[in-house]
Amino acid sequence: MTQAQTNLLQGTLDLLILKTLTLDKMHGLGISRRIEQITHGAFQVKPGSLFPALYRMEEAGWIESTWGASEKGRRAKYYELTKAGRKQLGVEADQWSRITLAMQLALLAT
Amino acid sequence: MTALNRFISFCRNVFNRKQGDADLSEELREYERLLTDENIRAGMSETDARRSALISIGGVELVKENVRAVRSGAWIEGLMQDLRYGFRSLIRVPVFTTTAVIALALGIGASTAIFSVVNGVLLKPLPYREPERIVTLLHEGSHPVAPANFLDWRASSKSFVDMAAAELWSPNISGAGNAERVLGLHVTPNMIPMLGVAPILGHMFGPETGQVGRDREVVIGFDIWQRRFGGDSTIIGRTVLLNGNGFKIVGVMPRTFAFAPFWAVGAQLWAPIAFGDRALSRNGNSLRIFARLAPHATLEQAQLEINAVTSRLEILYPRTNRNVIVTPLMEQATRGMQRPLIVLLVAVCFLLVAACANVAHMMLARSSSRQREMAVRTALGASRGKLTRQLLCESLILSTTGGLLGLVIAIVGTRTLVALGSAAIPRVQDVHFDLRVLAVTSFISIATGVLFGLAPARNAIRTDLVSSLKDGGRSENGGSANMGFRHVLVASQFAIALTLLIGAGLMMRTLAAMHNINPGFSPRGVLSAIVSATGTAADTAGRREQFFTQTVNRIASLPGVRSVSAINHLPIAGDVWGQSVSIEGQAELAADKRNRATYRVVLPAYFKTMGIPLLKGRDITNADRVGSHLVVIVNARFAEHFWPNESAVGKRFMLGDIRTTVPEWMTVVGVSKNTVISGWTDAPDDEIYVPYLQSKDYLGTGGSHFAFLTFVIKTDGDATLIAPSLRATVTEINPSAPVSDVQSLDSVVEGATADRKFYLVLLSAFAIAALVLAGVGIYGVMSHAVARRMHEMGVRIALGASSSNVLRLVVGRGMLVVVSGAALGVAGALALTKLMDTLLYGVKATDPVTFGSVTAFLLVVALVACWIPARRATRIDPLTALRGD
Repeated sequence: MTQAQTNLLQGTLDLLILKTLTLDKMHGLGISRRIEQITHGAFQVKPGSLFPALYRMEEAGWIESTWGASEKGRRAKYYELTKAGRKQLGVEADQWSRITLAMQLALLAT
Repeated sequence: MTALNRFISFCRNVFNRKQGDADLSEELREYERLLTDENIRAGMSETDARRSALISIGGVELVKENVRAVRSGAWIEGLMQDLRYGFRSLIRVPVFTTTAVIALALGIGASTAIFSVVNGVLLKPLPYREPERIVTLLHEGSHPVAPANFLDWRASSKSFVDMAAAELWSPNISGAGNAERVLGLHVTPNMIPMLGVAPILGHMFGPETGQVGRDREVVIGFDIWQRRFGGDSTIIGRTVLLNGNGFKIVGVMPRTFAFAPFWAVGAQLWAPIAFGDRALSRNGNSLRIFARLAPHATLEQAQLEINAVTSRLEILYPRTNRNVIVTPLMEQATRGMQRPLIVLLVAVCFLLVAACANVAHMMLARSSSRQREMAVRTALGASRGKLTRQLLCESLILSTTGGLLGLVIAIVGTRTLVALGSAAIPRVQDVHFDLRVLAVTSFISIATGVLFGLAPARNAIRTDLVSSLKDGGRSENGGSANMGFRHVLVASQFAIALTLLIGAGLMMRTLAAMHNINPGFSPRGVLSAIVSATGTAADTAGRREQFFTQTVNRIASLPGVRSVSAINHLPIAGDVWGQSVSIEGQAELAADKRNRATYRVVLPAYFKTMGIPLLKGRDITNADRVGSHLVVIVNARFAEHFWPNESAVGKRFMLGDIRTTVPEWMTVVGVSKNTVISGWTDAPDDEIYVPYLQSKDYLGTGGSHFAFLTFVIKTDGDATLIAPSLRATVTEINPSAPVSDVQSLDSVVEGATADRKFYLVLLSAFAIAALVLAGVGIYGVMSHAVARRMHEMGVRIALGASSSNVLRLVVGRGMLVVVSGAALGVAGALALTKLMDTLLYGVKATDPVTFGSVTAFLLVVALVACWIPARRATRIDPLTALRGD
């Protein structure tokens, strides 16, 4: 992550990961690249932040991991959303909308 | 996320860490490889690609660290890590660790043991129903009462729900098993119901047992039921032979029941009193009276009422009802114990404070020297929380170890105190190790340890990292505040040590003074034993005399025996019987003059055997028997009292009151030197010695009080060696006559000072412990001060300071602390010794010699403790010091 974003809330990283995994299961590097892609380069998630988040979310039950073969045929860990994870995605997306709306109103006020 | 799932992953993380770590490593490796491949595809060379991949990962170990931190169960990992680190860093400083652990253990253990004793003896209520409502009524608060008075008081008192009486009765048990003499009590049938304790087997005495002839029932105690009757549950209704008479066992008391809690402690069985003719006697004072206050009566009301009753009786029967005092039973049971135990309690509290102070300032010292370590760790990225947590762990390891050791000391200490103190402290058998107290003292000590263990963390936060790392941690920003506080701690330790030392010193002088007391007899080589004829074939008129005389003669012929005699009650160890006397020609005594003397009955050669010189006249002989002229020997005080300026030899007096008794005049034939009668430090009292062979009571009257004698045997060498031959001889003459209370007079005399010795041992132990703690404390502070000021010392030496200058500087600082502590200690001692005044003998509570010499001793010890590190200061190589390494 770039300097300006080191203070990004842990919750938003969770939201990004959940969103990324909606369609497909991916391994760590894949998730990182996808996030970079869908935010148009704004967020570059380093392993130091990514993996703790993945492990945390796995323990929370929102994603689950399986060992599979990577593109090069080697062993890699793949993550996918669980049912609880999908529900959590909805919850967090709602929460995010409410926060941004509130911030907008605050900034527009005189 | 269900709790179960979380729990499962928790367990997995904690117990299967290796697998989890391996997985993560593999995952990260694959991440790196994929990234490298990406870079290669983007056009980088293989080495560059790999390098770039590693840089973007940002440090594999760091990633692993971050993952570990968020895994559930991470805190346990952290805790284990902290514990291991804590252990290692404590082991690296063994002296510090051992001293701290021992100080904590001492503080916790000693305090708990003493608190347990104080709790069991002073605070725990007596084992009766509503024990605070039970009182005793005794002349002058401690002397026994006559039956007729008891019956009158009971009839006319309204402040009491019930009143009962007890007297000593030590029967011989015979029949199954050996002949044994046990301590027991004759009690009025209402006594045990009044106390409110029900037997666990059987029932109390029947209502008619108060009458003569119907009184052959007995209630036995738990211990004797177990010991002698094997805990037999069919014991009720069986007969046991007491003094040769059959008594029906009607009840067994519970294990927790003990009566009486004073004077007859350890009584094992209770039989009813049937007064018979004695109900009219106002002279035979043998009863102790117990009563239960009525629900709304106060102690003062009861006292006023009994005063009124006794004044009326005193008019009718002069000199029989004087000065009756109502005392709560608890006070009787702990008489003389409150002050000394409180002294011990205060002393041990001081010790606890000293121990806590010791731990506190050792940890502060250590914190100063760990500044550098803390700085390095902070620089490497440790958070404040992590540092604090790790230090907390370390302190807890220290405190818990100290606490556990303290627990061991407390248990052992309590048992030792009970064993040592059984001679000195009543109710000590009730003392049990008290968990509540352990909890409190552990909390205090551990809290101290933890609190001051956090000092380094506090320092670390405030410190400027750079300067800490540069100086090698030698100059401390928070140092001077710490130092001041440490000085206060050490000063207080010295104060405490001085206070305790002075207390111990005074006790030592008391003991020395008590040892100097001449008992009036010569105990060396003398053995004493009680031989009882009660209940045996010898217990009839005429046969008793024969039995005892035969015994004396046989013992006299044993090898090694120089002289044999007997007395009814031994001085110090035995009972004290009072007898009123009327002096011929002194019919009207002044109202305040006591006309009671201690009543002794002796066989010939008593004085020779005991080494008591006869100041005038002669000893009694075998010729002084019933039918011949009645003679008596008196002690010097009696002679001085009644015939102040004349020789007592030839004078006459009689036993009892001349107005109510038929005169039987006895002539004084000898005057003996005063001896200790009962209390070792008591002033001498009047004493008379009546010949056994002229004592109708002893020769003939039924009643076990008169059927035993205490034999005294003077031997060459060790008195206890002839004990077996003594028993054999008595058994030969009469197989069912028990021999009890066999002890050398030396041990009797030692027993007299046993309680003072007990306090001396304890106070000395505390004092020494406190002194050691204080010495270690000042040594530690001084060493640290020297180390801290190495740089300064180096400069001074380089500039030409001599060793003595340096010494004076360092030692001077130290002694200032010590002297202020000593001043505080003297003040504390003055307060403590005031509490001790009932314990002291022969020395004042403010004795200047003791105060002075102990203070000097302490100052010398402190000087040595300061001097050693100071000497190290003089040996500093200025170059090394200036370099600041």
